[in-house]
Amino acid sequence: MFGFDIVGFMISWLTLFGIYSILAITLNVESGISGITNFGKVVFYGIGAYVSAMLTTYLILMLNGVNVSEIPPYNINGVILLGELGNKNPALNIGLFLLAIILSFIVAGAIGYLLTYPILRVGPEFVGFTLLSSGELTRIFLLHYEPVGASKGLMGIPNPFGWIPDSRIRQILYLMLVLGFLALTFITMKKLVNSPLGRTLKAVRDDETAALCMGKHVPKIKATVLFIGSGFSGIAGALLSYYFTSVNPNMFAPSVTFNAWAMIILGGFGNLVGSLLGAAIITLVDRALTFIIPLLGITVISPDYLRWLIVGLLLVIVLLVNPRGLLPEKPIETPASKEMKRETGEEGG
Amino acid sequence: MIPGFVQTLINFVQYAFFYMIFSLPLTLSYRTTKVINFVHANFITYGAYIAIFLNGIVGNTSMVFASLSAFLIVGSIAVLNNLLVFAPLQKRGSSPAMVMISSMGLWIAYKYILYMLTDIVHFYTYKNFVSYGRITYSDIPSLSIGEVNLSQAFVAGMFTVVVIVLILYLILEKTRMGRAIRAIADNAMLAEVSGIPRSLLINLTWFICGGIVAIGGVVWTSFSGAVTPEVGDSMILQVFTTGFIGGLVSLLRTGAGALLIAFMENIGIALLNAYLGIPVSFRPFLTFVTLITTLILFPPLGAGGGLPYRFLKRRSEKCSDST
Repeated sequence: MFGFDIVGFMISWLTLFGIYSILAITLNVESGISGITNFGKVVFYGIGAYVSAMLTTYLILMLNGVNVSEIPPYNINGVILLGELGNKNPALNIGLFLLAIILSFIVAGAIGYLLTYPILRVGPEFVGFTLLSSGELTRIFLLHYEPVGASKGLMGIPNPFGWIPDSRIRQILYLMLVLGFLALTFITMKKLVNSPLGRTLKAVRDDETAALCMGKHVPKIKATVLFIGSGFSGIAGALLSYYFTSVNPNMFAPSVTFNAWAMIILGGFGNLVGSLLGAAIITLVDRALTFIIPLLGITVISPDYLRWLIVGLLLVIVLLVNPRGLLPEKPIETPASKEMKRETGEEGG
Repeated sequence: MIPGFVQTLINFVQYAFFYMIFSLPLTLSYRTTKVINFVHANFITYGAYIAIFLNGIVGNTSMVFASLSAFLIVGSIAVLNNLLVFAPLQKRGSSPAMVMISSMGLWIAYKYILYMLTDIVHFYTYKNFVSYGRITYSDIPSLSIGEVNLSQAFVAGMFTVVVIVLILYLILEKTRMGRAIRAIADNAMLAEVSGIPRSLLINLTWFICGGIVAIGGVVWTSFSGAVTPEVGDSMILQVFTTGFIGGLVSLLRTGAGALLIAFMENIGIALLNAYLGIPVSFRPFLTFVTLITTLILFPPLGAGGGLPYRFLKRRSEKCSDST
């Protein structure tokens, strides 16, 4: 009708869906399953994105013999050079991508692990606020720290498939990659939730004192969860930086955290499939709005504000009306429970 | 001696006033209602914007009038929040974390409602409300002692702090109502059984807390050169840290926290800047360090409901204590 590019729309939606789903799933494991009210999701997301962006841009320049102390990747000459050198060597691009993914997992995970030290001492309310403020501080730090490009951020990050001339194939390949990481996250988290550790986590969430008195090492368990969850959020950040091929501090405002929270509350607290559903709905609305808004022309109220108002009200209304979300939490699947379900199913049928 | 020492000192006192006005109600509202209220940031912003809209649309220059309007409107918003969201959630037995998440939702919603309002008002008046300049009020004097000039904001802030502390002290310590509010803070169930009208007093606490914070927002418009709809959000770290230093229980320690944070953010950063060359823009990090230090050294056990993990080494012993 308006020359609407349905394939392009689907690709951009699914890519964002994949990235946000990783955030939502890990947040659900941290908050919905283990009861750590993580309002600082954006910290680990941002760190992942910046680690991969820095690693790739600096290494590409250095490996091509550019003196990065003279031409750093964040100034205009560096960006131009990156554009020239960035997509010459496919093996280098893919290698750097893999290295960046691993490194962002480790760095984001380690920071998550360290942050548990102060927050373990206090209740969920304080945890939420401390992590929220760490998010803002990370942003302020990135805004003022020159080697990561300060307020301009880093640009010209070479996509792992940047050497493919056809943009559509490039996008589809990258989409596959993102969905692959989403599947990896989902399977890992599902295994984690259904493992004995997952059951311990639910016990910690429901009654911390009881879990402690049953001999569970609660601080260590929480730290483990935050390490794994933050690591995967770091991967999501890395995927985002390669998708947009640029990062800047304002991409990592607290609104990212709110989005992820809206997804898990809408989809179902403690239900991993619900997080996927929530992420799909919210990213779809998001993408649709970016296509629709330009068609509206000038409006009195910016549609962007309306979008955020809806996210905020959605959180409140879902909590008031249907606190279990669209897909409520299900009992844990153990081999024994599967066996029992099969048995009763056969008897009933 | 730091350059501009007198001005730094004045700023320190000025910020201490603001942090007291903003965080005393936070502590009071948390200990009475047990809700971590992110809408607190909106209370500040809404207070400031009520003054701005009154100034920009009607041309009001009276701070007393603006403060009264802000007190009534924001106080009502706070009560409405409680009636529509927090009270139903708590009645249903939602966990504190869930109530906190709902307050986060409200926080986002209120923030963008304000942005929309500024858009609508801009459409009709063609004035820029997204960044509004300092308002000069006609009914607040500015003092000068010797060579030191004390601005309107300083006078208004000082006056507000004195009045608020006095009123809070008188209400909480000298009246039956104050005793009842403190009883709810100590043990809500017991208070209710003793015949204290709990929900009424909780609503009243919300009204007072929302109102006081809004007055702080009004005073802020006479201080800041550019008020934006983000003003409350930008202060939330300091305000909550101040509250945490008081453990969200003690009003006295919250006041001390306000002094400490204001000291760190003004004199502390000035010293660090002068002697170590740390840029002033890294000011929030000092507050964050204070926050983390507070959490590690003095975990606010009373209010946050956290488990005392200091006993990690002797876990079994402590566990038998708590049972």
